[in-house]
Amino acid sequence: MIEYLFKRKILIFFLVLLFHTSHINALDFKAYGFIQPESSIYINGDGKHNQDNYNTSLFGKGTFISYLQEGDAKFTISAIGRYDQNDDELSYLDFQKFKYEYYFDDIALKVGNEIVFWGVNETFNIVDIINQSNLAEDIAGTKKLGQPMASISYSQDYGIFDIYLMPYFRERPFSGKEGRPRLLFEVDKNSITYESSAKKRKMDFALRYSAVIEDLDIGLSHFYGNNRTPVLSPNPSTLKFDSHYPILSQTGVDIQATKGPWLYKLESVSAKDGSERHLSAAGGIEYTYYGIRNTQSDLGVIVEYVFDDRNDNPFNNEGVIGLRWSLNDIKSSSLLAGYLFDMRGNSNRFQAEFEQRVNDDLKLFFDISLNGSIDNADFTYQFKEDSSLTIKLAKYF
Amino acid sequence: MKIYSFLFILILTFNFSSFAETDEEIGLKIAKEAYESTRGYIDSTSEQLMILIDPKGNEVIREISGKNLENMDPDDGDKSLIFFNKPKDVEGTVMLSHTHVNDDDDQWLYLPALGRVKRISSSNKSGAFMGSEISFEDFSGLDYRKYDWKYLGEENYEGEVCYKLESYPKYENSGYTKRIGLTDELLRARKIEYYDRKGDLLKTIYFEDHKLYNDAIWFADTFRVVNHQNDNSTIYKWENRQLNIGLNKKDFEKSSLMRLAD
Repeated sequence: MIEYLFKRKILIFFLVLLFHTSHINALDFKAYGFIQPESSIYINGDGKHNQDNYNTSLFGKGTFISYLQEGDAKFTISAIGRYDQNDDELSYLDFQKFKYEYYFDDIALKVGNEIVFWGVNETFNIVDIINQSNLAEDIAGTKKLGQPMASISYSQDYGIFDIYLMPYFRERPFSGKEGRPRLLFEVDKNSITYESSAKKRKMDFALRYSAVIEDLDIGLSHFYGNNRTPVLSPNPSTLKFDSHYPILSQTGVDIQATKGPWLYKLESVSAKDGSERHLSAAGGIEYTYYGIRNTQSDLGVIVEYVFDDRNDNPFNNEGVIGLRWSLNDIKSSSLLAGYLFDMRGNSNRFQAEFEQRVNDDLKLFFDISLNGSIDNADFTYQFKEDSSLTIKLAKYF
Repeated sequence: MKIYSFLFILILTFNFSSFAETDEEIGLKIAKEAYESTRGYIDSTSEQLMILIDPKGNEVIREISGKNLENMDPDDGDKSLIFFNKPKDVEGTVMLSHTHVNDDDDQWLYLPALGRVKRISSSNKSGAFMGSEISFEDFSGLDYRKYDWKYLGEENYEGEVCYKLESYPKYENSGYTKRIGLTDELLRARKIEYYDRKGDLLKTIYFEDHKLYNDAIWFADTFRVVNHQNDNSTIYKWENRQLNIGLNKKDFEKSSLMRLAD
């Protein structure tokens, strides 16, 4: 079930490191997390794949942070996991963080699993590449798997340089036969090929320079390694998708300008994926009205657009209009709603997330995902009849 | 040294009165001296507890811990880090602010659910901080550079003679049009009344539990905020406040947010 990357040796290394350092100083640590039962209703009936109309699931996250050597070092474990009623592929445990960090004056060293986010956009995060997306969790790809790495970070007044060495690749998880939404066919885990002869043991490499220059937050990055996104091709003999991971060489830039209530965002990548070179750009504007109608509530308007010069890319000419309404009340009530549309065809989707704290350690979430008219040539056509309502209740500890 | 400030002000006041100094100039001098008496902390750490109370008396608790770095540049503001602890759903979130005197601050938020640092808009310094009756703007409310001042005379408050000062924000996105405050003879703010954008009385902050830190700087360890329009109140307490402890300046940069978080 779990593609396990931690060999016993690595685990022992960490434990020795932890106890070696901690018996000298008093152990200073923090621990927190939550468990979250979820229940979904699919409002289009059994859908394209004749699936269950209801699903329940249990999601959880736990974080443990230990500060070592008077704050010069840190050890972190942060794990997420899910148990799903219907789909075995959605039941998993992942160590998003399992890392040891050591800080010198200008230099930070890190070894272990880490989540690294690059970019500025709300919806189209095209520069972000370090971590594999857990597509079984979320077809938008916002839930990530921990990436094993050794990294070094060098900071100066003029910016920060980060170098990442990633010795182990993590294949993309997809929902299984009973998962909703799912692709037309299952993704065959026994039929995976790589352009690299080292396959998942290929040493991926990334470099990033980032800086803050007054109103501007900028990042320049380069990645060379296994593409996180596989090419899926239906296999007529197994009736499953075969996956192929090409080698990706991607140069990216991300810029945000913050001008009062206006945020201007741009991300762009030039990449060679296998033998093909492509260019992609995504950006947008976010504006926030503060204290609308003399209340404490804020209303943010988000408009983003993505362009990709590959015609077959599912996100080659898409826009999104979003609203973020924060009541700034004691319950931290907020609503995020987005309308996504394909500017080339007629496809569109609507998504909304409402959240509100019930008390100090309980929070309620209500999600809606509605698929509108979707072209049958569109990648999301296979999810067309998977419109859903989801309720989640998180208990924090 | 601060003990002489009072005398200094008295002399100033006397001098300026005799030279027919305007009320605006006297107000500015008192505000400046009061602000400067809180400087020299270099850096600080503290635990902060908020009790949010609604008109029915229901209470909700908020807990954060903070680090501050004094900015020696006379034209710029301090830097701060806020670590959110309670309510538990925001635990692990960290906010970094580079404050500016009469301009928008620079703010970044680390969101643990996404492992992402976001630069956020800060033109809303007057919004409710964590659902309380205090706003971000209020934390730097003693900075004389942010206001135009006017001395209104003396007033007795809790048996002590205080200077009554009126102030008008210079910052265009301020949530207030006017403040009327009382500053005591040790140059400690005792209470400030805030008037909203329409000019109506919005709230009063009572500064309490004054404590002398490092034998030099008075800080109020409790802000009691009463909102006169919605009848909510907030009790904001500083605990374990420590000054001049040699924090690393680099902790107050965007690149350190993740290292300080998870």
